[in-house]
Amino acid sequence: MRSSRMTHRSAVTAVVGLTMVTIASCGGGGDDSGGSGAGGDGASDLSLLMNVENNEIPGTLTTLSENACADQNDAAPLSVETVPQTNLDQQLQLLAGQGGLPTLYAAGNAPDLTKTLAESGHVLDFQEALTELDVIDNVEPAAISTIEALYGGFNVLPFEYNIEGIWYNTAMFDEHGVTVPETWDDLVAAAQAFADAGITPFSASGDQGWPITRLIGNYLFRSIGPDALQRVADGEASLTDPEYVEAAQAVADLGSAEFFGQGVGSIDMDTSTNEFISGNAAMYYMGSWALSDFNDDERNDIGVDNIGFMPFPDVEGGAGDRSQLAANVGLPVTMNAEAYGDATADWLSCIAENYGSAALEEYNRVSGFTVNNPVDDVGQLTQEVQDQVSATDEAVLWFEALFNTEATNTSQRNAAPLVTGSISAEEFMGMVQDDLG
Amino acid sequence: MEQVLGDKKSIAILVGPALLVYSLVMLVPVFWSLGYIMFEGNAVTGFRYVGLANFADLLSDSKVHDALLFTLRYALVITIGQVLLGYGLALLYVFVLRRYSSLIRTLVFFPIVLPTVAVALLFQQLFSVAPQNGVVNSLINVFGVDSVDWFGDGGTAFIVIAIMDIWRSMGFYGVLLFAGLVEIPEDVLESARIDGSGGWKMLRHIVLPLSLPVLVSAIIFSINGTLKVFDSILALTNGGPGTSTSPLTIYMFQTSFTYGEYGYGSSVALLLTIICLMVTVVIFRASRRDLTKG
Amino acid sequence: MTGMTSTDLITSPARSGRQGPPVTPRSSRLGRRLRRLPAHLLVALLLVIVTYPLVWLLLGSFKTETEFLEESVFSLPSQFSFDNYVDAWTTGNFSQYVLNSILTVGPSLFLMMLLGTAAGFALEVLVWKGRAGVLLIFLAGIMVPMQMILLPLFTIYFQTGLTGTLWPLVITYTATGLPLTVFLMATYFRAVPREVFEASTLDGAGLVRAFFLIALPMMRNAIFTVGLVQFFFFWNDLLIALTFTNSGELRTLQVGLLNFSGQFGTTQYGPLFAAICLNVFGMLVLYLVLNKQVQKGLTAGAVKG
Repeated sequence: MRSSRMTHRSAVTAVVGLTMVTIASCGGGGDDSGGSGAGGDGASDLSLLMNVENNEIPGTLTTLSENACADQNDAAPLSVETVPQTNLDQQLQLLAGQGGLPTLYAAGNAPDLTKTLAESGHVLDFQEALTELDVIDNVEPAAISTIEALYGGFNVLPFEYNIEGIWYNTAMFDEHGVTVPETWDDLVAAAQAFADAGITPFSASGDQGWPITRLIGNYLFRSIGPDALQRVADGEASLTDPEYVEAAQAVADLGSAEFFGQGVGSIDMDTSTNEFISGNAAMYYMGSWALSDFNDDERNDIGVDNIGFMPFPDVEGGAGDRSQLAANVGLPVTMNAEAYGDATADWLSCIAENYGSAALEEYNRVSGFTVNNPVDDVGQLTQEVQDQVSATDEAVLWFEALFNTEATNTSQRNAAPLVTGSISAEEFMGMVQDDLG
Repeated sequence: MEQVLGDKKSIAILVGPALLVYSLVMLVPVFWSLGYIMFEGNAVTGFRYVGLANFADLLSDSKVHDALLFTLRYALVITIGQVLLGYGLALLYVFVLRRYSSLIRTLVFFPIVLPTVAVALLFQQLFSVAPQNGVVNSLINVFGVDSVDWFGDGGTAFIVIAIMDIWRSMGFYGVLLFAGLVEIPEDVLESARIDGSGGWKMLRHIVLPLSLPVLVSAIIFSINGTLKVFDSILALTNGGPGTSTSPLTIYMFQTSFTYGEYGYGSSVALLLTIICLMVTVVIFRASRRDLTKG
Repeated sequence: MTGMTSTDLITSPARSGRQGPPVTPRSSRLGRRLRRLPAHLLVALLLVIVTYPLVWLLLGSFKTETEFLEESVFSLPSQFSFDNYVDAWTTGNFSQYVLNSILTVGPSLFLMMLLGTAAGFALEVLVWKGRAGVLLIFLAGIMVPMQMILLPLFTIYFQTGLTGTLWPLVITYTATGLPLTVFLMATYFRAVPREVFEASTLDGAGLVRAFFLIALPMMRNAIFTVGLVQFFFFWNDLLIALTFTNSGELRTLQVGLLNFSGQFGTTQYGPLFAAICLNVFGMLVLYLVLNKQVQKGLTAGAVKG
């Protein structure tokens, strides 16, 4: 049954195709499929498909192509194509379905899609490739372990390595005599102190949702332990178990105490950042990519010197602790296994050796590659973050890291209703658990 | 006489190209996608035959039920709103402003020209509650009502969506319906006036029946547009909070391309197409009957 | 109803010439003034409602990021610098996007209107078996959700090597615009007496010639109106453009607006508004120029196919 369908389908394609070719040749439309060869020799170019929002990775790679990797670039020239992030998943599915993925590509908004791509042979095994090329020492072990935990293997390149935690306004803490909280109870007490003083304790974007669900995830890693969500993924525990609901309840309580301020559900990302750096909010949970906002003197009214970083606090009696920082590799970029060959392998070793320094020098960005050439002029807060990274032995992921896309969506979209009290903690966890399937 | 207008070759030349392009680019892909209904998986993983499992899921999926209810509610409210207001505008153009209506017509038409992204941004700002009150909240504060977090709740978010889409499209429908009203011959209206028909009576007994065909077209067009609403809601609320403002189209797009269940997404699309078809056939039939009568 | 299909909907200042006797005064002067008062108020309110966003857009395009986030919605920009416009033009790669939009929308609009009007003519004026069925098939196209045809179309375009050109957009717009155009044109043709065409074909002119020489000119207002409506649909389309333009050089204006979004959910409001303003006011100018052209065409009685 299926094969007859397929025959029929390809016949239809052929007919349609013929018409299209006729139309195209009339108009002189070029034939540039943008795909890469699937042969054993790999691709003869380093085509890169990135989400258009990310400037740093294409920028750093372009720098490399002009300097350290100029020879490699002659053999396989770098070319960058971009796609809006909202449309990335759709494009990857469409391109992968046609065998048309470029050499390097941003591998999807959720780890689930990255895994699917890996399972269907569209992703290079970097453990094997980098070992063979003898450059694996150029990747930070912490980055590799984060990637393995996320994607089930060393399937993406750590062009970014971000840590997450609570950024706080040090001047405000001093002024109101609040010490940096080390436990969840301290955090709630600190928030209460600010709320009493008429200051919004937390700035968060309910419009995006994830800055709120990150709190739930971190709470779970502290209360149950670093394997809290792995156990859910393995089916050993359910989000509806009381100890899991407790985390959602704790965050919902922050909402009902109005610690997120008014209208948290409709606050977008810019507004939430701005609330913090204009001195209207005391604390702000975010990843280290926010450093670029903090370092922007024009927008930052409180001054980068008045911003401190604290790891997510402990939960008393919990199995996890503050040293386990939440980390991620941003929107991951990977290499197409079918495009891997001599020329692209050369590129890969050159990237491994030089990317770390180039990214830090040019964009003040911390990557998962080692910094092989010393870089001057790194900002103080950036340095602090880098120190935190190297001091971290064990990293944890985030709430939705191991979820499928549907559960991820459900979780992030219902974060705002959770903190505004439209749905209860039980309902929230129940909805997400249902979608885990 | 009729034979003159029945030359087969001419008919083929005139209708052929449109039918061909339409069939190849729309009909073929539609049936192609419908073929996936019996499969699960996506273009990356490949497809696996599952028989009618997708339909079974469709019936029991509470998200589909919610999305369907929202879609119907939206289509009903928006269609009534935009056609009614559009008709009001058309009456205003024809009977009050008359030959001076051109500028107003153009201006009121203009919002539909604006990019969806821009309109959505505008309404987010108008109805914002944080960091500052938007225009609407400032206004209701004047009347002693507390600020409302419009996008924090599905019910109030729906109100904003409705206002936005009606605001955007009423000028368009005004123009569409104006075409029907402007054709009513002046002598018909004049004789009615001599008979002593007043404004309301004339509207009901003469203007409304005579403009019925174009009114029906507008309703068909509006129902089909609103049942398939996508980008205005995507840009304004992204279906949130939660999924309380997610129509079938957004759910379908997510299922197909974000969740990687293409076959299931196609099933949802089929459901939506069937609903559009049923509604349209009902209205279409009714309009044809009226035409033969008239 | 013997009326013409007068569809000088949006632009022409008065009803077209073949509309019957001129409008006669409908009431006494005093009564009219009194009756006009609420109408004037209504019109004033309408104008405020529709022009406010344009003013707001324009003001917004001069604001800095901080002003956007911290000042009230009503506040005026503190300075009238064109930084945002410079940003929009460079970051937005604006000229390229405008060109792409014109290159896709122009040909598809022309093709779609030509094919659609011809089909509408054949379906409503000509007499043949099965035309009701074909009209219904076209009508069905209005009901199909666009999201459904994306994957098959992508496959077709990819396999035929059209991906990477603007052809996928032109072809898709042409086809997706057809149902509504055919449906509307058929509706407009319905009001024209068949005798007009019968007479024209008696002297030996073929039906195809009759279509080009008589039907098309007669329908110029309808064509302009439907074309205008479709133009805005094509111009503002995001879904199709997003799916089939996987390259920066092919991006259309609407997709380009997404360039102002940041990776972690941020937006550069100032440049975005500047880009939208360029888009909207550019279109307004185009619209006014077109309007003038059409008026000229009307008085000269000349019509282009």
